Amino acid sequence: MTQQINWKETLADGGQKAYIAEVKKRDALVGSFLEFDPPRGKMARPQAEVQTTEELAGIPFAIKDNIALRNFKLTCGSKMLAHFVSPYSATAVEKILAAGGIPVGKTNMDEFGMGSSTDTSALGTTSNPWDLTKVAGGSSGGSAAAVAAGLVPFALGTDTGGSVRQPANFCGVYGLKPTYGAVSRYGLVAYASSLETIGVVAREIPYLEKVFNTIRDQDEKDNTTADWRDFSDPKEGEVTKIGVLTGSLGLDPGVAEAYAQVRQELLALGYEIVEMQLPMLDYAVPAYYTIATAEASANLARFNGIRYGHRPVYSENPEELVQKSRDEGFGAEVKLRILLGTYVLRSGFQDQFYLRAQKIRTALVRDFDKVFSQVDGFLLPVFPTQAFSHGDGGLDPFQQKVADKFTTTANLTGLPALAIPTGVSGGLPTGVQFMAPAFCEDRLFGLARRLKSNLTLGEPPEFPALYAGQEGRS
Amino acid sequence: MRYPTKYDSFVGLEIHVQLTTESKIFCGCRNRFGDEPNTNVCPVCMGLPGSLPSLNQEAMSKAYLVAKALHCDLADTCLFERKNYFYPDLPKNYQISQFAKPLGTNGWIDIVVDGVTKRVRIHECHLEEDAGKMIHAGDMSLVDYNRTGTPLLEIVTEPDLNLGEEAEILIHELRRIVRYLGVSDGNMDEGSMRCDANVSVNTKGAGLGRKVEVKNLNSSRFVRLSLNYEIDRQTEILEDGGTVVQETRLWNENRDQTIVMRSKENANDYRYFPEPDLPPFRTTPEFLADLETRIVELPLDRRVRLVSTLGISQTQAEVIGEEKANADYFEKVLEYGADGPTVATWMTGDVQKLLNRTGQSAAESPLTPERFAELLTLMAEGKIHGKIAKTILELVFEKNKNPRVIMAEQGLEQMNDSGELAKLVSQVLVDNPVAVEQIKAGDTKPMGFLMGQVMKASGGRAEPGMVQKMLKEHLG
Repeated sequence: MTQQINWKETLADGGQKAYIAEVKKRDALVGSFLEFDPPRGKMARPQAEVQTTEELAGIPFAIKDNIALRNFKLTCGSKMLAHFVSPYSATAVEKILAAGGIPVGKTNMDEFGMGSSTDTSALGTTSNPWDLTKVAGGSSGGSAAAVAAGLVPFALGTDTGGSVRQPANFCGVYGLKPTYGAVSRYGLVAYASSLETIGVVAREIPYLEKVFNTIRDQDEKDNTTADWRDFSDPKEGEVTKIGVLTGSLGLDPGVAEAYAQVRQELLALGYEIVEMQLPMLDYAVPAYYTIATAEASANLARFNGIRYGHRPVYSENPEELVQKSRDEGFGAEVKLRILLGTYVLRSGFQDQFYLRAQKIRTALVRDFDKVFSQVDGFLLPVFPTQAFSHGDGGLDPFQQKVADKFTTTANLTGLPALAIPTGVSGGLPTGVQFMAPAFCEDRLFGLARRLKSNLTLGEPPEFPALYAGQEGRS
Repeated sequence: MRYPTKYDSFVGLEIHVQLTTESKIFCGCRNRFGDEPNTNVCPVCMGLPGSLPSLNQEAMSKAYLVAKALHCDLADTCLFERKNYFYPDLPKNYQISQFAKPLGTNGWIDIVVDGVTKRVRIHECHLEEDAGKMIHAGDMSLVDYNRTGTPLLEIVTEPDLNLGEEAEILIHELRRIVRYLGVSDGNMDEGSMRCDANVSVNTKGAGLGRKVEVKNLNSSRFVRLSLNYEIDRQTEILEDGGTVVQETRLWNENRDQTIVMRSKENANDYRYFPEPDLPPFRTTPEFLADLETRIVELPLDRRVRLVSTLGISQTQAEVIGEEKANADYFEKVLEYGADGPTVATWMTGDVQKLLNRTGQSAAESPLTPERFAELLTLMAEGKIHGKIAKTILELVFEKNKNPRVIMAEQGLEQMNDSGELAKLVSQVLVDNPVAVEQIKAGDTKPMGFLMGQVMKASGGRAEPGMVQKMLKEHLG
C-alpha cells in the first residue's frame, strides 16, 4: 500500500480487507489492540443509516478498553474482566457512532488505568511505535500507540492523572484531557471518579477538535456533567499571554530542550510570556494519589466475582468467593492502590490523609484561579522523561508516580489540558502541554495549530502514515 | 420483670422506609415489590463497570416531604456519601447514603401513649439506596437485585422512648404518616418499612447506659417484644452487679429472645467519603414550594381535630383516621350536611361491614359521599327508619343507585299517613283477639307482639312511633 488514501475509504467494501491486513501486520509489532474487529464495529450502528454528511462518517477509531462499547469486551486490561462483554455503550461512544464513526477495536491499557507504561496490563504488551523497546506510556498506551502507528486517525482514552497526555507525549501525537464535566463519564469504568475524564488522542488537530466537539455534552446519565454552552470563553479562544512554569522542574535533557524551544517559538509567534511558579505543585502528587486511591478502593469494590468477572473454580461460601476472585483477578499495582485507598479512608485517619489531600486540591484550584487571572494559557511539561524502556531499564512504579506531577494538576483542578508533540529528540518524540481555564478547550486547539506551523513533528520511521484525513497531513 | 423505680431504659429507633417512586433512586428501573427476581435491573443498579448513578428527583421530594412532616430542619444543601462494606447483595460493595450532611435534622414526632402525648425527637432523616435480597437455599446462595436501588429513607430518633410499647406506637404512627403523605405503603411484612433499635438501661437518673443495637425486627410486634426482652435482660445484668456488653444483637423470632450478632470490636469501619458521582443536592424555592403543596394534615392532628370539633369518639376517630382516604371520605360526607357522630357511627358500623364484605374501600365503593349523606337525610326527614336504611344501604351497594331512587323503586318509604296506619292497626287488633284480651286484663307483654304484627303487615315501613301511639290509644 504505497499510495495514501482517505480514512473514509478504509472501511468501505473495497478497502476493508487491505486495511485489516495492514493493521494486523503493524499491530503484531506494536500490540496496541486487545480486540480488533472492524466488521463487528460496523454493526454498532446500521451503516445504511449513516449519512455521508455526518461529521465523522466512515472514519475508523479505537477505544481504550475501559470505555464501554456494546458487544465488545470491556477488560480494563485486567484478568478480572478478561471475558466481560459490555451490554451497553458509553455516552461518548454513542455520540461518535451518531456522528458516523466506526469503532474498530479496543486498546490496551494499564490495569484499570493504574500506571504510566501500559505494562501493568494483564492482557498484553504495547510498545512505542517510535522504538519498540520503549513503552508507549500509559495508561492509554494502546490508544496512543494505535494512533502513532497509523492504525486509526483518533482514539478515545481516559485521563485520571495524565493517562491521555503522557502516552500521547511518548508517542508523538496530540492528547486532550477535557474540562471535568465537559464529556460524560457514563460507560467509563471508574478508577478515580472525581479526577478522570474521557479524552482524545489524534495525530491531527482537526480530528482532535471534531471528536471533542462531538463527545462533549451534558448527559442525564452523568450528574457531574455540565452544559458547555453555559460557559462561554470571554476571550473566544484567543490567547495573547502565556504563563510558563519555571523553577527546578527536573526534566531530562531532551525534554528540557524541547520545553525551552517551545518557549522561544511562542515568543517568535508574538505571544507575551509570563514566568510563573506553582507553590502547590510539589503537593500535587501526594494529594493526587491519596484521592485517586481512596476513590479507587470504593470504585473497584464492585468486582467481586458474583455478578460478572473472574471467579475462582471453587469456593466454600460467598465470602471466600469474593476473596478469591479479587486475589486472583487483580494485579499487584491494583492491589497496592486499593490497599492504599482503604488505608487513607480509615476512620480516625481521614484528617491526616484524605481531608488533607482535599485541602491541597482546593489550594491548587486557587493557584490556578490566580494563574488564569493573569494569563490566557499556561505552558508546562507533560512528563520529566521521554518514553522509557520496558521492564527494569525503565522507571520503577514509585518513580513513575513522582513523575506525574505536571499532569495531575489538570485532574486535581478539573481544567482542560492538551499535550502537544513538538518534535523528535534521540529518536523519540518530545512534547509539552498547555492548560486553559475551564471549558476553554478552543484556546488549546488554537495554540496547537499556531505552534504546529513552526515545528517539525515527523512520524515513526517504521510506521509511516497510511491514510490521509480529509485535511491531509502536512 | 422490670424495676421501674431503680432503673431508666432508653430506646432509640432507626427506621428504614422504602419510598414508592415509579423508578429506582439512581436509575430508570421500575421500583416494584414482588416481580420475578432480577427482572427490574440495569447496568446501574447491577453495578456493571462504567455505570453511574443519576439522582431521581421524585425520591428527593418524597424524602424531604417526610422530613418536613417530622418537623426537621431541612438542609438547603445535602450530600451523598459512599458507605463501604462488602456484601453479596450490595452490587457496588458500597451503599450510596448520606452521612455528614443529611437532608433533615432536629425534628420530632408526637405519639399518644395511654392517652398522653409524648414528643420523640428525630435526630435525622437521610436518603440512601436499598440493597438486594439474598436467599439461602440449601447449599446455594441466591441474590435478587430487584430491590437494589429502591429509595430508602432512614429516620433516626433520639433515645427518647422508654419501652417496647412506645416503640411499637411510634412505628404505627410513622406508618400512618408515610401513608398519609403517599410516599410509602409502610408495609413491614413486605419489608417496605424496617426497623433497628438501640437500647440501654442505667441506674435511675444516671443518663444513657451502654448501648446495645438490636436488628432484624421485621414487625412492630417484634420491636415491642425484643425491646422489652432487652430491657429486662440488661436490667438483670445490672441487678446482678454486671456490665452490659456493647454489641449488636439479633431478634430470634423462634425463641423470642435476642442473640449476639457481633461485638463492638468487630464493628465495620464504613470509610465514608463524599460520593464523587453525585453533586451536592441544593433545594430551590420551587422545590420547597412544591413541598408546601404536597404536605397534608398529619394523622394525629387529624384524629384530635375529628374528636374535638366533630364530637366523635376517640375510637371512631382512630378507625376513621387510620387511612387518609377514609378520613377524607368521612369529611366529604359531612360537607353534604350530614352530622358527624351519625356518619361516624354508620361508617364504623354497617358501612364498614359492607366494605369488608365487598372488599372495597369507601372511596371506591358505590356509596359515594353524596349517597351516604342522602341516606342519612332520608332518615332525618322521617322518610325511612333505621332498619329500612340498612336495607337501602345494602341495595346501594348492590344496584349502585341513589338511596332516594331505591326507596321509591322498592316502595320503602315510611308509612306515616295516620289513616292508612289506623286501618292496619284495626285489622291487627281484629286478627289477634287473644292478645288484645290479655292486654286488657293488665298483661302488657303481647304489646310487642302486636307491634311486630303491624310492622309486618306494613312490610316494615310503618312509622313505629305512630303505631305504638295508636295501639296504646286502642288498648290503653
